[in-house]
Amino acid sequence: MRQSPALRSLSTPILLSLLLVCFALAAVFAGSRPFNQTIIDIFLQVIFVVGLYTFVGNSGVISFGHIAFACLGGYVAAWTTIKPMLKGGAMPGLPDWLMQTEIPYWASALVAALWAALWAGIFGSVLMRLSGIAASIATFAMLAMVNSIYSNWESVTSATSSVVGIPIVRVIWPYLIAAIIAVFVAWAYSISRHGLALRAARDEPTAAAASGIDIPRARLIAFVLSGGIMGAGGALYAHSIGIVTPDTFYLGLTFTTLSMLVVGGMSTLSGAVLGVLILSTLIQVLRWLEAGVQIGTSTFALPGGVQEIALGAVMIVILMFRPTGIMGNKELNLPMAGSEKAGRQGPEPQTTNKE
Amino acid sequence: MSLLTLSNVSVRYGRLTAVRGVSFSLAEGEVLFITGPNGAGKSSLLRAIAGVTPPAGGRIDFEGHDITGRAPEDIARLGLSMVPEGRDVFGGLTIEENLLVGTGMHAAERGWRARAASELEAVYATFPILKDRRHAQAGLLSGGQQQMLVIGRALMTNPRLVAIDEPSLGLAPNITDQVYERLIALRAERKLTLLIVEQSSTRAMLVGGRMMLMRGGEILLDGDARALGQSEAMQAAYFGYGEH
Amino acid sequence: MGSLLQVVFDALALGSLYALAALGIALIFGVMRLVNFAHGDVIAFCVFALLWPSTDAVAVVFAGNLPWFLLIPLVLAVGAALSVLSELVVFRRFRRANPATMMIASFALGFVIRYFLLMLYSSRPKSISLLPALSQPIEIFGARIPLLQLITILVTIAVLFGLTAFLRRTRFGLEMRAAAENFTMARMLGVRANRVIMGAFALSGALAGAIALILGSQTGTANITMGANVMLMAFIATVIGGMGSLAGAVIAGFLLGSIATVMQVILPPDARAFRDAFVYGAVILVLIFRPQGLLSARGAKERV
Repeated sequence: MRQSPALRSLSTPILLSLLLVCFALAAVFAGSRPFNQTIIDIFLQVIFVVGLYTFVGNSGVISFGHIAFACLGGYVAAWTTIKPMLKGGAMPGLPDWLMQTEIPYWASALVAALWAALWAGIFGSVLMRLSGIAASIATFAMLAMVNSIYSNWESVTSATSSVVGIPIVRVIWPYLIAAIIAVFVAWAYSISRHGLALRAARDEPTAAAASGIDIPRARLIAFVLSGGIMGAGGALYAHSIGIVTPDTFYLGLTFTTLSMLVVGGMSTLSGAVLGVLILSTLIQVLRWLEAGVQIGTSTFALPGGVQEIALGAVMIVILMFRPTGIMGNKELNLPMAGSEKAGRQGPEPQTTNKE
Repeated sequence: MSLLTLSNVSVRYGRLTAVRGVSFSLAEGEVLFITGPNGAGKSSLLRAIAGVTPPAGGRIDFEGHDITGRAPEDIARLGLSMVPEGRDVFGGLTIEENLLVGTGMHAAERGWRARAASELEAVYATFPILKDRRHAQAGLLSGGQQQMLVIGRALMTNPRLVAIDEPSLGLAPNITDQVYERLIALRAERKLTLLIVEQSSTRAMLVGGRMMLMRGGEILLDGDARALGQSEAMQAAYFGYGEH
Repeated sequence: MGSLLQVVFDALALGSLYALAALGIALIFGVMRLVNFAHGDVIAFCVFALLWPSTDAVAVVFAGNLPWFLLIPLVLAVGAALSVLSELVVFRRFRRANPATMMIASFALGFVIRYFLLMLYSSRPKSISLLPALSQPIEIFGARIPLLQLITILVTIAVLFGLTAFLRRTRFGLEMRAAAENFTMARMLGVRANRVIMGAFALSGALAGAIALILGSQTGTANITMGANVMLMAFIATVIGGMGSLAGAVIAGFLLGSIATVMQVILPPDARAFRDAFVYGAVILVLIFRPQGLLSARGAKERV
């Protein structure tokens, strides 16, 4: 009895999810608050990188702008979950109905996903007509545009000052579940009809266009979906620290997210997830060294900034020697699933039960 | 003495092999036509010789130097000038500027400016039309004029060997005649060695010299252009009759 | 009259800044198809090179105290050196890589430079007084124009003329223009790839130094992110100008400067803070209709 390729590729998201569960369990057993927060950060980063992968990996167009959607999502969390009396002071310009709204964190993440997806649709319908370098630069302009608006629209975003009072969620499970959902959504998309068409267009643009694939439309679908994932991630990010500012979601986060995707491997889901896990570990070690390590009687500490410098250096070295990232073009698979590339020519997926 | 020697040269693009173990040598002053159908690997071979696509295997010697895998500019500086397919003029530069780009390689030598100026006059003497339009943008020239320009530009580097990829591509027959007329005259004048790639053997038979037939990345025939051109073996090899 | 003249000068001064930055991006793009995301950080580096490394809030001016005739060449040289260094250490290894890979590598390099600055100087903006004599206004036809603005415009014009002469009249400039049009063909004519690319990086870095001087004296602060905004506008200018066209980049830089200045004037006061957002939006709209750039007609490509 042979399994269909689509079903066989199911082992990829399952394995990746199990890996994430292991991290979560490690946090539970360690029982330390800072470590717990670190694992939450990793899960959030998984959401961002998987969100970015959904577009970049399938379309082959580099986007510098996806963190803008996280920014949109983060402020949705601020608008919908802060207590009404607190909101009035920081963001007096909100409409009345929004001022009175107070919804739970998971609902704010959903609304954030929809809101970000809506804007991804609006921006995307313009941007997706571009390709190559012009498209990349335009996504960068989009990021700067969103940042500029959120940094200046005092009455609804409190401009550059921090918006505080977002309910903080400290348990690890919601983040784990969201990361796993993101992984499954990305997987389901990449083996769907649209995902396969977009990958075909990425590898053979002329042939794909000749066989009737509407490339801008295929890209737009991926853009909207990935925008939605980023939006939900942004809202959860806000709930993890309780504060948002426009610069939380700007070049720094763009750089971290992109570097994780590049290091792991842009064209596979496994690359996206493993990139996060590997680089997050590196970042943690460096943070720890920056904070200072006691060696005998003296404290040894790296100066601030070393973390990003090391990250940048790792990224450049990986690009030099292994431009397709650590995973190359391979997905993480069960050994029995063979060496074939997962889900490349699979039919439409059966509905698989998601978390 | 042989000027250019190829030993077992192959060229690969990823998994695709374009040239399979080609060996030949070219004597000083010789004219060699490489003919063959589309996709035979002719252009890939030229690109390997010029250093644009480094060969995947084998060895190329030019004037006693091993040039395998050397940078294109180094090879050009040794006196091997390549005129690629499609008349790559610098469209935004004037004709004169186009011609002068290649003289920079001699900038370290004494009196190179004077020599460049006399080279320029020589090229203008060969192709008077270029002199008339010397300050026009090269992109505005007709196909035939562009072909003359790229040949003239190759000559400005004062080469020993000129390799030309499909000089007749996209040109009207009478313009092609003109281009060839000039090439043959130049060869006699400057004792140039010529390596010319053409799809058909007609031109080779008119001009004479040596001809090789390439197909599927290999050299199938090698001999006198006129004798080979009339042979049945040529026809059979060109279209691959023997294999079906 | 006076206020109109003021707008014209504002537009020209802002446009100058964008044009110089766009030129720095387009020079490198022309010869190696690299969109250099590290350019903004090279600009920031040039400003910080004038300060003594310290994480205090007050800037410890070091080389910044030099007289102007030493200060200016020093900053230009710092920019050129850093730019050439980035080519030697990083970009040289990406010659055969695709443009997207190179672009990401430059993005990473920019971050390395930025956080190197953060490590030495901290992320707090520092106030500096660079060439203070330039901040006083002068009067032209009833408009009060800061002297610095006038000098910015004049310097930009001088740089543009100098660069044009360099590209059109010198051997090296000829090779560079040929390489920008068709790199492989230029190499087949004996043009040395490394020399041309290094030259492009050196020029681009010196331009970054010039921008650093202008920005530093204009704003009176040194900030590790100060290059980012100018760089983004420069990218947009190079795209609008038709990637790799130097003339296009310069014209588009002035165009963007003018649009931004005019928007500053005509937008209602509430919306002025969003000026840049409007400019980005306008640019994205332009790109839909002319994805190849506004000024990329054939033949407009080389006229510097």
